[in-house]
Parts: sequence; C-alpha cells; structure tokens
Amino acid sequence: MMNKMKNWLEVRIGLDELVTTFVTEQRVSKNINIFNTLGTVAFVGYMIQVISGIALVMYYIPHADHAFRSVQDIMTKVPYGWLFRQMHVVGSNLLIAAVLLHLATIFLMGNYKRPRELTWVGGVLMLIITLAFGLSGYLLPWTQLSYWATTVVTSVPTAFPVIGDFLTRLLRGGDYVSGITLSRFFALHVSILPPLFLILMVIHIALIRRIGLSGTPFGRSDDEKRPLTTYKKKTHPDGYPYYPYLFQKQALMVVGYFIVMFAIITFAPSFYFPEEATVPADPLKTPESIRPEWYLLAPYQMLKLIPNKFLGISLLIILMGVFIFWPFLDKQKEKNIFQRPVLRSVFIVIIITLLILTWWGKR
Amino acid sequence: MKRIVLVLLMLFITGSVVFGDYREEFEKGFLTKTWSGEQPAENFCIECHSSDRMKPELLTIAEEWKASWHAQHKIACHDCHGGDPKDASLAMSPHRGFVGKPTPAEVPDFCGKCHLGIVKQYWDSGHGKAFRASGKGPHCITCHGSHNTQKAHIDIINEQLCSKCHSYDRARTMKQALFLTEKKITELEADLDRLKSEGVFVDDETKNLFSVQAEFRTLFHSIDVDLIKNRTDDFSAKISVVDGSIKNYFKELQYRRNFSAFILLIFAGLGTTLYLFTKTPKE
Repeated sequence: MMNKMKNWLEVRIGLDELVTTFVTEQRVSKNINIFNTLGTVAFVGYMIQVISGIALVMYYIPHADHAFRSVQDIMTKVPYGWLFRQMHVVGSNLLIAAVLLHLATIFLMGNYKRPRELTWVGGVLMLIITLAFGLSGYLLPWTQLSYWATTVVTSVPTAFPVIGDFLTRLLRGGDYVSGITLSRFFALHVSILPPLFLILMVIHIALIRRIGLSGTPFGRSDDEKRPLTTYKKKTHPDGYPYYPYLFQKQALMVVGYFIVMFAIITFAPSFYFPEEATVPADPLKTPESIRPEWYLLAPYQMLKLIPNKFLGISLLIILMGVFIFWPFLDKQKEKNIFQRPVLRSVFIVIIITLLILTWWGKR
Repeated sequence: MKRIVLVLLMLFITGSVVFGDYREEFEKGFLTKTWSGEQPAENFCIECHSSDRMKPELLTIAEEWKASWHAQHKIACHDCHGGDPKDASLAMSPHRGFVGKPTPAEVPDFCGKCHLGIVKQYWDSGHGKAFRASGKGPHCITCHGSHNTQKAHIDIINEQLCSKCHSYDRARTMKQALFLTEKKITELEADLDRLKSEGVFVDDETKNLFSVQAEFRTLFHSIDVDLIKNRTDDFSAKISVVDGSIKNYFKELQYRRNFSAFILLIFAGLGTTLYLFTKTPKE
C-alpha cells in the first residue's frame, strides 16, 4: 500500500528526485556555521506566526467595541487560546530578533555582495514588512498599550511637510486612532502584508536556490574575484552533504528558538503584557508611560533628539535607503569584515548607537 | 551613482533649510511633550487653592485632595462642591450649583449625593437619628475626614475614634462581626491584583467583588450588630462565588505553567539529542 502510494507520487511529482536534489546530494561548504541557519530559523518563525495567527483570527473580532473582549475570551475561554496567543505574541518578538540577527550576520559575513545584491534587498524589504506586521498586530488587542503606542508611531509621518498630515490621516483613517484605524490595521495585518511577504519570500528563496548557498563566511572566493558576466551557480563539490550536516544545525537552532519561546511562556508569561496591556483602550486617558515597541525605540528616540523634524525624518529615510541598497554602495571586493577596519568600526558604532537609543527610548 | 547621491544630498540639505521651522502638529503631539501622564485640564479650583492669594487655612486643601482616594478615582472638586472649574468667573457660581463649605447638618446629604446606599443606612442608624434630632453626633467627616479621604477600611472603627463619644464595647462587637468578611474581601482584592499582573482579564470578578464590597460597606453604617450578623451569611455566599472563580483562574494558570513547561522539556530533550548528533563525527 505504502509502495503504491509512493509510486503514485513519484510518477506525478518526482519525490525521489526532489529528495536527491535538495537533501542527499546537495553539498554545503565545509566552513558553514550556525549563523547560516538563521534564515531557516526565521522561516520557521514565520510559519509559527501563520499557524497561530490563523487560530487567533477564528475568534478575534476586529471591531473597537469587541476587539479587547474577544482577545480576553481567547485568553480565558477558548481551549488553548492562551497558548496560541502567547506563541503569537512571544513569537513576533523573537522573530524580529531572529531576522535582525540574520541580517546582521549576513552583513558581517559580506554575503550581500554580488551576485547576492537582490537577495539582500529582498531580505531588507522582508524585514520592513515584518516590522509592519508587528506594528499593525500591536493595535489589534485594542488595549491602552496598543492604542497609545500606535498613536505615537502614527504621529511620526506628521514630520513630513505638506503630505505629513495626509499620511497620518491615511494610516489612522481620521485625526485620531479609532475603530477605523483598527479595521485598517487588521486588513493590513491579515490580507495585505501576507501576500506581499509571500511573494518576497518566494523570490528570496528562489534567488538563494539559484545562486547557491554562500560558501565564504570569511575571505574571498573565486566567484567574487572575477567580473560577474555570466551565471554560475555556487556549488561545493568538496563540501559536506546538506543532510545531516547542515540539517542538524538548522534543526538544533529551530529547537533553540522553541526553547526560548516556551521558556518565556512558562517562566515569564506576562513579559509582553505590562499593566497597560490588560486594560481596554481609552482614547481619553493617556497612560503614565507609553512608548513604541522595542524594535522601534531607536528611530523613535532619534526623532525625539533631532530638533529639526524634517532633518530627523529625512535622515531616517536616507539611513533606510542606505541599508536597503548597501550592496550597490559597497564596491570593495573584500568580504571579510576583519580585513576592513573602517567598515568594522562603522558597524560597531551603529550597533552601540542603536543599543543606546533603544535603552534611552525605553526610559 | 555619485551623481544620484549628490543630488539626494542637495535635496536633503535644501529641504532641511526650507522646512527648518516646520513645527505644528509634530511638535505639539509627539516631540516637545513627553507621552507620559495625563495632560491636566485647566482647573481653577486647584489653581486658586494653590496660589499665594488663598487664606493659609485653605491652602492645604488641593494637596490633601491630590493624596485622596477620590483623586485616585478622578472625583474632582466640582463633583462634590459644584461650580465650573474651567471658568474662573463661574468656578464659585451658585447658579452652577456651587456649595463651598457645607454646614454640619448638610454634610450627610452632601456626601450622600453619590453614596446613596450608605447615607440611607446612616440616617436609619443610631448615629443618624441622634444627629438629626440634636444636630450633634458623628457624620461622614467625623470618621472619614473631608479632603484627604482614604479608602474605607474596617480599622476606621477604632477605640480612639469611637471613645470620643461613647464606650468602645458595642463598636468592638460590631467590628468582630465584620472582621472575617472584610478580611476575605481584602484577600480577594489582592488575588485579583495578582491575576491582573499575570495578564488575566478579571473585569467581571472585579465588578462583582466591588459590588459585594460596596453593599457590605453600607452595612457598616447601620451600626446594628444583629443586622450585620444576620446578613453575614448572604455576603459569605456572594463572596464565595467570586472566590470560586478566582481559585479556578489560579488553577488554570498553574495548568498552563505545567503544560508549557512540559513542552519546554520536550524541546530541551530534543535539543540535547540534536546537539549530541552534531558532535558525532561524520563520514
């Protein structure tokens, strides 16, 4: 029976060939390390968000009068609703951390360099969409925390002259965060961002498959030395087989991701639910202390510190542009950041600045 | 590429110079003010009672009120005294229902505007009857104070206060009758706070307990020991409903903790196995 089924599938989808191509015969570089698994970790993180999100959306009511209560019902009445919500909330924060770490390691290893420029651009765009997922999802529980954090973040575009107010009104659907904003953010969260993200993810993975896994965490390979005029897939004929070598590393990191997630759910279940997150949104009452989510604290604090608002927002956009198109700006052939003291220093300064701004914004 | 960067830089610098004074909504709403604390509405009562023009004996009122249970629940000056706190000329206008300092005879009904059940119990009690008959006797302020009113607590019934007018024996008996129920209510309040801090939504239970507590507190004012003893069972039954619900929440939280710890252990085991596999030499 099993053989029959296997044969049936083999005729139609070529299962053996798929396994051979992607698992048994695929070889990876011998100097591949655990940082090369972060993309897989992020992918699994997204899958957790999709599955838990589908479970939540079955009970969530995207209406200002019912949103808060429906989330509380998910937490208290829906069987295992608390587990799905905790996984979704904790998962969203871990996912952003994993994606940031993934980008930072790709940057450090110089793996954004040709022919992987578009893979990098796609990755950064996926990070931006992930942040948009975070921002739009944050409002949905309709708590004091989510309401006022969204008010703060949606105020940012008003720094733009002429079109600033229009942009903010477009986001909010009015002068203030209201039920209309909730509907817009819900639509964004469940029906606009997912297909956009899916398209980018397919392109990202297709590019990785086409170009091949980078085998040069440090140092320069043959591919990078020559001018890139023809397509050549990166292969590692002398490398280790993907299975079990890299697969085990990926599985270990994914399990590590789950361990961190369930450690937070077990030992600090209210870590992401401060007092304001348990109180329904009240547009007439500003809580004692309110700020955006942790991953938006650095830009938020930067905007607060720069007295000229246009300068602040322009600087933010320029930095974002440099970040997205960095592979096209960095013309140095050397991939090893340890051989590039200027870039290394800039990287360290940026990381320290981001940490300081985040800490400052949190205070 | 250099040209594009140069053009962008020029646009950026020109924009910054041209819009250098751009302020408006952004500064108003986001950057110049911190997003912390409620923006206080203009209140002329507080303003005058904190100014140098005020008589010294009336200067402390605003500060006393700020420390009160009323202030914590957004009950402001005009909620009791009337008047319009947003308009200096009408702040003390009798047309806006302003009553400055009520006479002792007016005090029970002054507070009773909001504390309806309590004022009824009070007028029917020995205290109320004595006060109505002679104009002397304890009223709200005698036990609770005026502006620095704190959350009502069973310890307001104490020997020092009661013995000002009569012996403490009867009050002690009453306090003993109230004690267990009051203690239970205080414990349940603490439990609800713990549940809230763990992210559990206990709005219904909080409302139920508040309702029982408010009803129970009206009973304090009857100063009728027999009535209190007779009604204690009613209150115990009501409290046990809330108590049951709270206990279930704690059980549920414990179950959740055990369940997620179990999953955590599975992943920890899986992680250890995988780690050992990765350390096994290959080929």
